[in-house]
Amino acid sequence: MAKGQDQTRPQNDWQAMSQQYWNAWNDATRKAFGALPEAAANKTPWHEGLEQWSRMFDAGRAQTVQTETVERLLAGARSYFSLLQTLAEKGAHVNADPQAWADAVRESFNFPGADAALLDNPLARALRELAGQGSKGFEQMMEAVQPAMREMHALLDLPAFGYAREHQEHYQRMGKAWLDCQHETNRYNALIARASRRAFEVFEDKLAERGEPGRQIDSARGLYDLWVDAAEDAYAEIALSAEFREVYGALVNAQMRVRQNVQKEVERVATDLGMPTRTEIDSMGKRLHALHRDAKNHAEVLPGLVAEVAALRAEVERMKAAGKPAAPQAARAPKKAAPRKSAKPAARE
Amino acid sequence: MEPIRIDPKRALDEAMRAQQKLAASFKTLREVEDVDYGATDKEAIYTEDKVVVYRYKGKNKPTAKAPLLICYALVNRPYMVDLQDDRSLVKNLLALGEDVYIIDWGYPDGADRWLTLDDYINGYIRRCVDAVAKHAGVKKINLLGICQGGAFSLCFTSLHQEKLQNLITMVTPVDFHTKENMLSHWTRGMDVDLFVDTLGNVPADLMNWCYLTLKPVRLNQQKYVAMLDILDDKVELENFLRMEKWIFDSPDQAGEAFREFIRDFYQGNKLVKGGLEIGGKPVSLKSITIPVLNIFAEQDHLVPPSASRPLGEHIGTKDYTQLAFKGGHIGIYVSGRAQREVPPAIHEWLARRTR
Repeated sequence: MAKGQDQTRPQNDWQAMSQQYWNAWNDATRKAFGALPEAAANKTPWHEGLEQWSRMFDAGRAQTVQTETVERLLAGARSYFSLLQTLAEKGAHVNADPQAWADAVRESFNFPGADAALLDNPLARALRELAGQGSKGFEQMMEAVQPAMREMHALLDLPAFGYAREHQEHYQRMGKAWLDCQHETNRYNALIARASRRAFEVFEDKLAERGEPGRQIDSARGLYDLWVDAAEDAYAEIALSAEFREVYGALVNAQMRVRQNVQKEVERVATDLGMPTRTEIDSMGKRLHALHRDAKNHAEVLPGLVAEVAALRAEVERMKAAGKPAAPQAARAPKKAAPRKSAKPAARE
Repeated sequence: MEPIRIDPKRALDEAMRAQQKLAASFKTLREVEDVDYGATDKEAIYTEDKVVVYRYKGKNKPTAKAPLLICYALVNRPYMVDLQDDRSLVKNLLALGEDVYIIDWGYPDGADRWLTLDDYINGYIRRCVDAVAKHAGVKKINLLGICQGGAFSLCFTSLHQEKLQNLITMVTPVDFHTKENMLSHWTRGMDVDLFVDTLGNVPADLMNWCYLTLKPVRLNQQKYVAMLDILDDKVELENFLRMEKWIFDSPDQAGEAFREFIRDFYQGNKLVKGGLEIGGKPVSLKSITIPVLNIFAEQDHLVPPSASRPLGEHIGTKDYTQLAFKGGHIGIYVSGRAQREVPPAIHEWLARRTR
C-alpha cells in the first residue's frame, strides 16, 4: 500500500505544479496583454499555453510582420514544449536506460495535433516546417494536377494516333513524369524516415555517454539540444551518402520534368488564346541580352577609337603644318588607284 | 549512472521561465522597430544595369595606399558586412584606415535571365574594378571576395591580375568535391540544364529552402527555441530579426550564371581540376602570382574549411597566407570575436603589401 502511494505521488506533485504553472501563466499574460478569455481546463496545459500564446497573435492584435516570427517560433517551440511536458510527466517513471529516455523523447514529438503521417519522424516534420515558397508552390502545383493525372493514368501506355496524337502523347509524358515524381518523392521520404530512426539510435548513444560523472544532463533544454545534435548527426550521415545523392538528384530532376510538362501545357493554352508564352519571352530576352552585351562592348571600345582618331587627326594637322606629305595622302592613293584597277577588267572584255 | 538528472521542480521552473518570456513577448514583439540594416554611410560611385558600386564613408580620411573592393556572393545581400553598428566588418576596416568599396549586385529579374559568368566576371567585376581605381586615382586596387564572390574573384584575378595589388578570399569554396560538402554532394546528381531550362532564374525561396535543409532541425527548430531566451529583450530581439531579414532577403539567381556555376564549379570542380573557361578564356589558379590572403571559418556548414584550405596547394603565388577563424559562415562577419580578429588581420596583411 505504501509502495502504491509512492508511485502516485510524483503524478500528484506534477498535477499540483502544473496547476501552479497554469495560474502563473494566466497571471503573467493578463499583466502583459490585458484580460484574457478563461482557458478551459486542459489535460496538456503546457502545450496549450503555447497554442494560446499563438492565438493571441492570430487575434489581430499584432502586426503581420510579427505573425511570421510567431509562426516560426511556434514551429520550433512545439517540440521543445512537448519535451518539457513529457519530462515532467514521465521523468519520474523513466529509469536509467537510454532507450527508455529515447522512447520518451520520441513520444514527446508525437504531440496532440501533430500530422499523423509524421509520427516518429521528427526530421520529416522539420523539413515540412521549412515551408519555403519555392517548395510550397511545387507541392500546391502537384496537388492541383493530381486529379487530372489520376484520370490519365490508364491512358499512359496506350498508343497515340489520329488528329490529336501529339496532344495525347504530351499528356502521356506529363502523366509519366508525375508518376515518376511520386516514385522519387517516396524514395526521398523513405530516406528521411530512415534518418529519423537513426536519429533516435544516435540519441541513445549520446545519452549513454552522458552517464559518465560530470556529464549528466540536468535541464530540459540540455536534453533538447542533445536531441538536436543527434538528429543532425543522423541526417548528415544519410544526406552525405551516395544513395541520398542519387535519390536527391532524381527527385529534383523528376520535379523539373513535371514542371516543364505543365509549362508546356500552359503554353499550349496561351497560344490557343493568342497570349505570349514563356518560350517567346525567353527568345526575345536572349536576343536583347546579346544586343545589350554588344552595345556594352562597343561602348567600351568606342572611347578608345575616338581617342585614336583624334590623335591621328592631330598628327595629320601637325604634318600638314610642317609641310610634309601627310600620311593620309598616301592612304588616299589606293582610292585613286581603285577606279583604274576596276577599269582594267572592263578593258579586257 | 543515470544520463539524465532533471529535477521535476527544475523542469517546471524552466517551463515557467519560457512561459514568462512568451508573456513578455506580447510587449516586445509589438515594440520592436522595423529592423533596418547598414551602419555606415555610403555613396554610389558607379552603376550599371542593376549593379551599384558603393564607397563607404568613414569618420576619418582613409590612410591605406589602395582602395579595397568587396565582391560579395550573388546568393545573398552584401549588407552582412555592415549589418549594424556593433557588427560591421566595414566599420572596423574604415576605422583602421582602409578605403572600402562594395559591389551590390541588386535583385536579378527576367531581364537578367541570360547573364553568364562571363558577364559577371569579365564584364561587371572588371568594370567595377576599373571604376574604383579611377575613383580612387590609382592603377591597381585590392580585392576582397566573399563566398561565391571569392570564387569569382579568383577567376577575375586569373584573368585580369594586372588590375590588382592583393587578393583576399573569405569563406571561399575552392575544392568543391571534399567529402563534407553537402551542398556539392547534392548538386552532383542534378541535371542542371533541365533545372535552369525549366525554372529560368532560380527563385530565392528555393535556394533558401535548400540551405535550410542542410541542417533542418538546427536551422528550423533549435534556432527558434533559442529565440525564447531573448523574447523579453527588445535589443536582442531586433538583432535576431535583423539577422533573419538578411538570411531570407535573398535575390533570385540569374539562370545562365547559375547553370555555369553549378556545372563548372560544383559538378566539374574545374577550379581545382582545371579546364575552367570564363568567356572562352582559360582560368588557372596557378596563374595568380599576386599576394593572397585566404580566410575561412572552422565551423562553416555552407563552405566547409576543407573546401577553402586547398587554395594554398593550387595557387601560383609565393606570398600566400591562410587564416582559420573560429566560427561559422555568418559568425565570421557578425560575432564579437570576428569584430576583434578579422578586420585587424586584413588591415595588417594589406598594410605590409600595399604600395
